[in-house]
Amino acid sequence: MLPLVHPFTWALSLIAIPVVIHLINMMRHQRVEWAAMEFLLLSQKKHRTWVILKQLLLLLLRMLAIAGVVLALAQPLLPDRWGNFLGSQPTHHIVVLDDSFSMSDHWGDTTAFDRAKKVLERLGASVVHPQQPQSFTLLRLSHCGMFGEGTKPDFHKEKVDSEFAVRLTEKLQSMQVSETAAEPLPALEAVRQALSEDTGERRIVYFLSDFRARQWDKPDELKKRLLQLDESHAEIRLIDCVAGDASRPNLAITSLEPEEGIRAAGVRWRMQITVRNFGPTSVRNIPVYWSADGKAGPQVVIDEIPAGDTARQWFDVVFPTAGEHLLSAHLDADAVLADNVRHARIDLPVDVPVLLVDGEPAARDSKFVAWSLVPGGEVRTGVRAWIETPRYLALKPLDEFGAISVANVDRLDRSAIEALEKYVSAGGGLIFFVGPQTRSDFVNRELYRDGKGLFPVPLANPESLPVDTLDKTPDVQSGEHFIFRFLGNHRADHLSKILVKQYFTVSPDWIAKNDPSTRVIAQLRNRAPLLVEKSHGRGRVMAFLSTASPSWNNWASNSETVSFPVVVQEIVAYLSHRPSTGASYLVGEPIAVKLDPAKYQPTIHFAGPGGGPSATIDAAVDAPAKGASNQLAASFARTEKSGFYEALLTQTTGKGETRHYAVNVDPAEGDLKALAGAELAARLAPAVKYQFDYADSFETKIDETAGRNLGDLLIYLLIAALIGEQLLAWSLGYHPIGSNKASSRRAAPLMQGGAL
Amino acid sequence: MPDSRKFLHPEAIKRIARLDLRARHIVEGFLSGMHRSPYFGQSIEFRQHREYTFGDDPRYIDWKVWAKQDRYCVKQFEEDTNLRGTLLVDVSGSMRYGRGAMNKYEYACTIAASLGYLLLRQQDAVGCVSFDERVRMTVPLRTRRNHLESVLQALEVSSPREKTDMYPILREITETFPRRGMMMLISDLLSDREGLFRGLKLLRSRGHDVMVFHVLDDDELDFPFGGPTRFDGLESPDIVRCNPRALRDGYLKAMNDFLEEVRRGCTRNNVDYALLRTSQPLDAALAAYLSNRLGMHHKNRG
Repeated sequence: MLPLVHPFTWALSLIAIPVVIHLINMMRHQRVEWAAMEFLLLSQKKHRTWVILKQLLLLLLRMLAIAGVVLALAQPLLPDRWGNFLGSQPTHHIVVLDDSFSMSDHWGDTTAFDRAKKVLERLGASVVHPQQPQSFTLLRLSHCGMFGEGTKPDFHKEKVDSEFAVRLTEKLQSMQVSETAAEPLPALEAVRQALSEDTGERRIVYFLSDFRARQWDKPDELKKRLLQLDESHAEIRLIDCVAGDASRPNLAITSLEPEEGIRAAGVRWRMQITVRNFGPTSVRNIPVYWSADGKAGPQVVIDEIPAGDTARQWFDVVFPTAGEHLLSAHLDADAVLADNVRHARIDLPVDVPVLLVDGEPAARDSKFVAWSLVPGGEVRTGVRAWIETPRYLALKPLDEFGAISVANVDRLDRSAIEALEKYVSAGGGLIFFVGPQTRSDFVNRELYRDGKGLFPVPLANPESLPVDTLDKTPDVQSGEHFIFRFLGNHRADHLSKILVKQYFTVSPDWIAKNDPSTRVIAQLRNRAPLLVEKSHGRGRVMAFLSTASPSWNNWASNSETVSFPVVVQEIVAYLSHRPSTGASYLVGEPIAVKLDPAKYQPTIHFAGPGGGPSATIDAAVDAPAKGASNQLAASFARTEKSGFYEALLTQTTGKGETRHYAVNVDPAEGDLKALAGAELAARLAPAVKYQFDYADSFETKIDETAGRNLGDLLIYLLIAALIGEQLLAWSLGYHPIGSNKASSRRAAPLMQGGAL
Repeated sequence: MPDSRKFLHPEAIKRIARLDLRARHIVEGFLSGMHRSPYFGQSIEFRQHREYTFGDDPRYIDWKVWAKQDRYCVKQFEEDTNLRGTLLVDVSGSMRYGRGAMNKYEYACTIAASLGYLLLRQQDAVGCVSFDERVRMTVPLRTRRNHLESVLQALEVSSPREKTDMYPILREITETFPRRGMMMLISDLLSDREGLFRGLKLLRSRGHDVMVFHVLDDDELDFPFGGPTRFDGLESPDIVRCNPRALRDGYLKAMNDFLEEVRRGCTRNNVDYALLRTSQPLDAALAAYLSNRLGMHHKNRG
């Protein structure tokens, strides 16, 4: 018996309609008293059998046409033994399940992932057919090449038997949406590879996803993969689990990181949090909650985030002790929870070491800088500064310094220059102060090197800034820059108090705008550059083209303004800022740990967030490859959830040590803009042949997967039956226009053909 | 003749109840439309010359003969030997069929009356025989104008019966009307063809000019029926239940074969034949008749 969708079963009785019409017509026949019975009887005698046959055939065709319409609407299946009888192949159901965290999008008491699981449960129950071999593969996106495991399907060509539905349900019950931003491409590629060999089986690939615009708006690669699946004779069914709700409101914390500044134990510094509004409308008064080392801090509020825009907010933190500190921030619950949380690990030193190199034995310039950085008394700046001669640069490692100042040096050794270049390229910060000992030829040749060296500008000569009593223009002028942030709106007042007597001119050939890596931060009254900045490698270099001491200007000794120590501290903060590396990862990214083999044993014990036994994973050191730095490298790939991961280290002395690593979700996945069926069709069809369904509607017609759908075949049969019916009806019919002409044509010769 | 003919359609003629008035209407309408036609007055036809004798009307002296031969001759006309036209009208059951303005019987009666009127108007003698399975009424040949009334009475026959074989009927007619004349058979000819042809042959052998007006209904010629239909025979007890569309082609073929057979039979016996549809204007029979007369005239002259 054909399994029919119930509402259509009764409709089969409609095939009786032609018979009923025929009977009614028989009852309603007209009666004619006829003269020329002779010819009628002759015709009947001659054609009776053929006429009855044709009429029966016509009746049959009409009944078939009605049955065809009903059955085509019912989408019947040719199941099991019938299918086998007609050579039906075994069926392989391949389900690709999107478990990226955007599938946790929830409304009411359900989520997109729950919908997907319901579809799967129904599908699992419907494919159980003892007579027809069925196999089932279930693959989650997060299990395709993530966590260092390669492709790991939940079911791989699992034979579908009577117990399969139970096994699938159990699997689904323990299945949770991941916190990954897993892309569909690797999964489709895995399916393509799996189906590359023609095994003669029928293949149905179900892709259950939310079809976010982020991935499907320009699906060139996806389209290519789907086309390849199509070429592998796989039937593709795309099932949308979010009902095409195009744009859902969702906020996501996109970053949590320290602002530029000196970060050290006991020093107040600022964390910056960035929140993006993925929703279609502007959002106001967004509270942001944060905690440091598990202790909640005062909440901060973001006033407004326009639709599709981001907003930043800051909060101050002070840690009295050095070492690792863990910060977390979160937002109120919205459509997707995973991207409402952000974690950051901050490594705080006791203080930031700053090296002050001075070319003068008295180190007059560096002392002014040192006094500014470490004023003494109860004021704690978090900076530890000491003065050295230029020889120190070549002799000692510079990596530990947050920033280096080089003041009033006449020359540096080649090795010292190389050490400085290496230091800056690796992210270090360096500032030059010129002075009476500075030689422009050395600077240009060794430090500037036609723009390839450290020094930002080529120097010419030291010159005096002429005093013009009539000109009230301040000697020093500046634009906005981080180093002036504490001067705020009084920046011009403070800088106007500075009197510059002498400075080093820049070579007249140099034009600032021709060198995009260089920026003039402050200039003199005569527009000569005074403070210049340049990026070099990953680091920053500044050059102050006058002395730090009051030799050539009165900035350091000016009693009317205290801006010198403030700006020097900010310069050091600016130069010592390092992008946080190695402490924050995205979910799915392996945590890389490097160890000094002299200090640590090679065994590392990783523990995931949550503390539960299931979250604690032992990981051995992958490959103690000895690099140039002679470090052990270890990698922990199973970063399945966001949070703080612990790496328990053992020092060679036997002492334990714990390092933390912050793992966050990819905030881009929080963009919930999804494509509806029509939008998806505009991007995929007609090249890709697929069937699109929403999860709810797919549930109702899921039974069709149980066998070979005869819908298309029935449509063709219906068309054939209708054409046959029309032809037969035409041949049996009376066509007055044609026949009148014919009869008049026949009658005319009779009139003319007589003897008249 | 469009203006006059539109009054000769069966729909128009049907409105005139009295048959004699119908006949007059048709004939006068027909002739008024043909007042310039050469047919007019054909009944008063020249026959031969005869020597003038005292008492002859000098109007009929042929002066052309006198001019050529110098003797007086008078023209003798056909008037002297009147045409004897006998209307043989089929009033059998099958003639009662018709779904249009007139059934075949009415149509046949109307054209019979019209022909009778035309003949009487031209001083010809008119007789009439109505028949079904046998001769039902016979009206002898007369030339009186009021003789038309007798002819019309003969056409009114109740309880029509089946006609089976027309030979005995036609044989009886030859015996009733032994003198040569024109026999105008008005029938649907739905009977045994062999008997019909034998009868026609007999009529011809007795020297009669024979015209056959074959009256059939549109339905019989076109068979336009659709939907389940039960056909009851008008002259037979046969019943056919069928979908007429399915039998139409076979029926039309049989009908055409019948018409062709009749036409050939008539031609073979030198009988003039005209097929008339009951939807045709009623002057068609008159036109056929006059055409026949002209042909006969030419034949006689030739």
